[in-house]
Amino acid sequence: MTAKIKEFPGVGLREADFREKRVIYNTWTPNAQYAWDAGVAIGRYLAELKEGRLIGVRCNKCRRTVIPPRNFCEWCFRPMDDWVYLPDTGTINTYSLCYVTWDMGRVKVPEISAVIDIDGTSPPVGIMHLLGEVKPDDVKIGMKVQAVWKPAEEREGSILDIKYFKPMT
Amino acid sequence: MPILEKPDQLHQAIAWRGDIPISSRYTAGIAGERFFGEIRDNARILGTRCEACDLIYVPAMMFCERCFAQLDEWAEVENWGIVFTYTVLHRDLDEKPLDSPVILAYVKLAGSDGGLVHYLGEMAPEDVYIGMPVEAVFKDAAEREGSILDIAYFRPVAD
Repeated sequence: MTAKIKEFPGVGLREADFREKRVIYNTWTPNAQYAWDAGVAIGRYLAELKEGRLIGVRCNKCRRTVIPPRNFCEWCFRPMDDWVYLPDTGTINTYSLCYVTWDMGRVKVPEISAVIDIDGTSPPVGIMHLLGEVKPDDVKIGMKVQAVWKPAEEREGSILDIKYFKPMT
Repeated sequence: MPILEKPDQLHQAIAWRGDIPISSRYTAGIAGERFFGEIRDNARILGTRCEACDLIYVPAMMFCERCFAQLDEWAEVENWGIVFTYTVLHRDLDEKPLDSPVILAYVKLAGSDGGLVHYLGEMAPEDVYIGMPVEAVFKDAAEREGSILDIAYFRPVAD
């Protein structure tokens, strides 16, 4: 404190003081809804996911096909040239067995997230997703996997319209 | 479609919707605690007095706005005052028409240099005038909870 002020007036408050209404206060919950515009490229990507298809874009100059779609080629900075439908199969590039939830709770059965290089992209580029119908010990880098889609009526234009990727038999 | 072509139909535009869950608490503070507490417990309106400036603040303040002196002299002020200015509302915050117009006024409280922004009641919008004497109508003691709305509204002072 300073020479003039020995202590600040007032008292510190605890949660119980609010709960038991020992102090006068009011609360406010603003309506903080938002809508984030997906844009041209991701907008089409999500719309095609709803139809059960994967779509990428191609740069003819760099001769590469990438997913998810983007407006510009980040190699040559030109606008992308074409939309390209891609198969819903791919190869596991890398994966992780996750034994914690997002808020750090423990889980017994791990969630397996993976980067899956989608067939038809060149050089291979991947999207991140979950693996399913596979034991954690059996997952291998280089394993061929295929998307398992939600039923058409449940799809809503989200990356979660794919439930997970499962090993191809 | 070439990739830079823009969507020309609204349904082609895709947006990701979300909701940010935030809420806040605002405490009345040291002076507010006593000011609202007195309204809640005793249906009385208090102000704080600055002796040097000869001002009585309503709502009660901890410090004088003019000379920055700390104020600890509390004074009860009248529960009536005059309409300093007013406005008549016909629409709510979402611009929807209201069933009946709502009158809001700044009531300068007698015996003080301050006042309260509040509703006017028991009168028609065309009856309000600047300088009109109005008095506070408090809610029942059981309903009061330490809020400015413990005063239901101000009504014309009966002759």
